[in-house]
Amino acid sequence: MSGRAIVITSGKGGVGKTTATANLGLGLARHDRKVVLVDGDIGLRNLDIIMGLENRIVYHLVDVVRGRCQVRQALVKDKRFPHLALLPASQVDQKEAINPEQMRELVAQLKEDFDFVLIDCPAGIEQGFRNAVAGADEAIVITTPDVSPVRDADRVIGLLQNSMGDPQLIINRMAAEMVQRGDMLGQQDVLDILAVNLLGIVPEDDEVIVAGNRGAPVVLNDRSRSGQAYGRIVRRILGEDVPIPELNGYGGFLHRLGKLFSRR
Amino acid sequence: MAWGTFVQRLFGNKGSSAELAKDRLQVVVMYDRLGLSAGQLEALRKDIMETISRHVAIDSERVKIDFLPTPAEVTITAPVRRIRTRGEAQKQQTG
Repeated sequence: MSGRAIVITSGKGGVGKTTATANLGLGLARHDRKVVLVDGDIGLRNLDIIMGLENRIVYHLVDVVRGRCQVRQALVKDKRFPHLALLPASQVDQKEAINPEQMRELVAQLKEDFDFVLIDCPAGIEQGFRNAVAGADEAIVITTPDVSPVRDADRVIGLLQNSMGDPQLIINRMAAEMVQRGDMLGQQDVLDILAVNLLGIVPEDDEVIVAGNRGAPVVLNDRSRSGQAYGRIVRRILGEDVPIPELNGYGGFLHRLGKLFSRR
Repeated sequence: MAWGTFVQRLFGNKGSSAELAKDRLQVVVMYDRLGLSAGQLEALRKDIMETISRHVAIDSERVKIDFLPTPAEVTITAPVRRIRTRGEAQKQQTG
């Protein structure tokens, strides 16, 4: 088997990389794919707690790279899906504890056993980023519709284009009412600036916090708007043609009337 | 202001911060992509103006340099006051 290795990255911290990684992983597992989530944020381990697997960690990524254990021993099996596993980050080491070459080897090894290797990238564009990106075949960039995450996303997209071609974009925490009021960048605004392919939009949703509290990512909650959005994104990753629904707000009468006159 | 914005404002939609955000982002992202600072950009502007002025009389107050993203493009708008004859231009260069 040779799986797809996808890095989830953003440049800016706090825009939802780890949450997205957890949701995409669980979503893919729900479609019966064999998935491993790699926490690339060495020193600031977080994917485990978002996934609700924090109490099961024995070994971690740096242990594997250093040969202190087998990959198999470090993988934490998900409680809900036996074919979903987590490779946790070390909480005590520094980013420099591993290098891109070691990461490439590790990811190549994981690709033999899994359909998807999702790598949760740390914030920033330094060593941690270079490590996380090293073994990936594809990249998903997450941003929120705010000025600084979009700016940082543009930087990261530039870096990724040099090494692996165009990444796909997820816009997280979109608030339709704010877009409608003209107080938040809309989907098209963000795309005009970043000029990459849009993989999906996740609406602002309190359920994400609740899901974090519980260690049960929103994609498992079919009634939540954000969970549904992640569900659609997962199907797109699997190659299905799922339209991106227009967020209520953009496309209203006044907006369309405005567009008619603006000739843009 | 674009007509669209005007119509939206007419109907009670007050100044759009999203539009401002987009304009600011477009500028900053272009600087980032070019690896240019605002100071370097000013230097570029001066150089370009000097070069053009050597051949054409331009309205230097109204020279505009725009960077457009996707596809990346630099547009220089320099309103011409009058085009000098070849002789005049040479005279100025030697004199």
